[in-house]
Amino acid sequence: MSNISLFKTLLLLYIADYFESLIAPILINAYINLPITFLIFSYIIYKSRSNSGPIFAFSIGLYVDIISDSPIGLNAILFCLMSYLVNSYSNTFRLFSYFQVCLFFSASSLFFIGFKNLFINIDNFSYLELFISFVFNSVFFVLLAIPKFNFLKSGSRR
Amino acid sequence: MSRVAPTSGSKTLSFIFIALSALLLYLDITYKSFEGIKNSYKSFAISSSYVLKTISIDPLLNIYNLLTDKSKLIKENKKLKLELDESYLSNFIISSDSKFFADDNLIKTFLKKNQITNIFYLAKTKSFDTQLYFCCNQHRLFIEILNKPNNNFVGNSVINSSGIIGQIIYDKGLQEVLLLSDTTHVLPVESGEYFCNARGSGLPGKISCTYSSLIWPVEIIQGQSFYSSGLGGIYPRGILIGHVSQINRIDEVLIEFEIDLISSPLQENIFGVLDRS
Repeated sequence: MSNISLFKTLLLLYIADYFESLIAPILINAYINLPITFLIFSYIIYKSRSNSGPIFAFSIGLYVDIISDSPIGLNAILFCLMSYLVNSYSNTFRLFSYFQVCLFFSASSLFFIGFKNLFINIDNFSYLELFISFVFNSVFFVLLAIPKFNFLKSGSRR
Repeated sequence: MSRVAPTSGSKTLSFIFIALSALLLYLDITYKSFEGIKNSYKSFAISSSYVLKTISIDPLLNIYNLLTDKSKLIKENKKLKLELDESYLSNFIISSDSKFFADDNLIKTFLKKNQITNIFYLAKTKSFDTQLYFCCNQHRLFIEILNKPNNNFVGNSVINSSGIIGQIIYDKGLQEVLLLSDTTHVLPVESGEYFCNARGSGLPGKISCTYSSLIWPVEIIQGQSFYSSGLGGIYPRGILIGHVSQINRIDEVLIEFEIDLISSPLQENIFGVLDRS
């Protein structure tokens, strides 16, 4: 995937936030938290051809803070951290299997949910929610990545 | 093509921006420094969605209406006109102003039942983040007071037809309502001779009280009703708040119990803002 324009990124994140606001009240009944906006941002920087700077992550984080009614700076911190992490390990990811990359994103989303809940939901902080979200997100990402798995490709070639 | 690993310069820049984000987060949580920006964005989003709906969806709906069966439209028009006439007759006093379509009878009935004589202003829901309501501590509702006078409504209580919803904490353009279940909200409640400051639990429709059995030896029982005590001067006294749903013994002395609220902000879109005078 090539670098996508800033306008497309902003639009994509706005739609993702809107979609998240629709499904989150339903998923939370099953203790599931799926941070779609964060994951889409992570995917954009993961698939980007060049390293995105911290200014980009910071600005996008502030934008998400405003549209999602989060405390200002919360998404900015997490987006900066994620951007730094992905940029640092961008070459190492090439050695990983898709399954490992899925686990990395699940772990990132787990950290995101936990960190966010520390600020906006400390009185009802739930380890159950974290655990179930981690399992759900892992399965969800693996399902999304199944078309890329090598054993399926080689099977179809035969 | 491989990506270049972050240089020391970009690492420093990342650290600076993370520190800056942390500073902004601290300022927002501690001093609420960015409430103005957030509320401006909300007002802008609500206005934009209204304008977009007016110029995009409404014309399409009009075209669709024109294309549908004429007789069906005539029949529906007759039915609507009949209902409008009935509504006009029952609301003839308020029919001249813009709150004609907002039915305030339920709120009037509630006030009469609780013997509250305060004047109230009718308000409508403008924005409610159900995602935050169901997941997090912050339970806020944005309303718009119809025919709003120039008064500042900060501190006024907001009710619906079943009970107290919360109090207004911000009044610029839209009115921001701090709901009873918000963790920063404290509501003085009473049951018989027992008094307690019930704090919002951060869970939808629940508030909680903690008391020491040494100070208050009378046992609290499940289903016990709690009423507003009127202390603090924000809410009127004697309004049913809810019933005890769960009792937890924290230690040998401290007991915490949850109260299920009678009223819900999701129940209806029309609210009454009580005048404190």
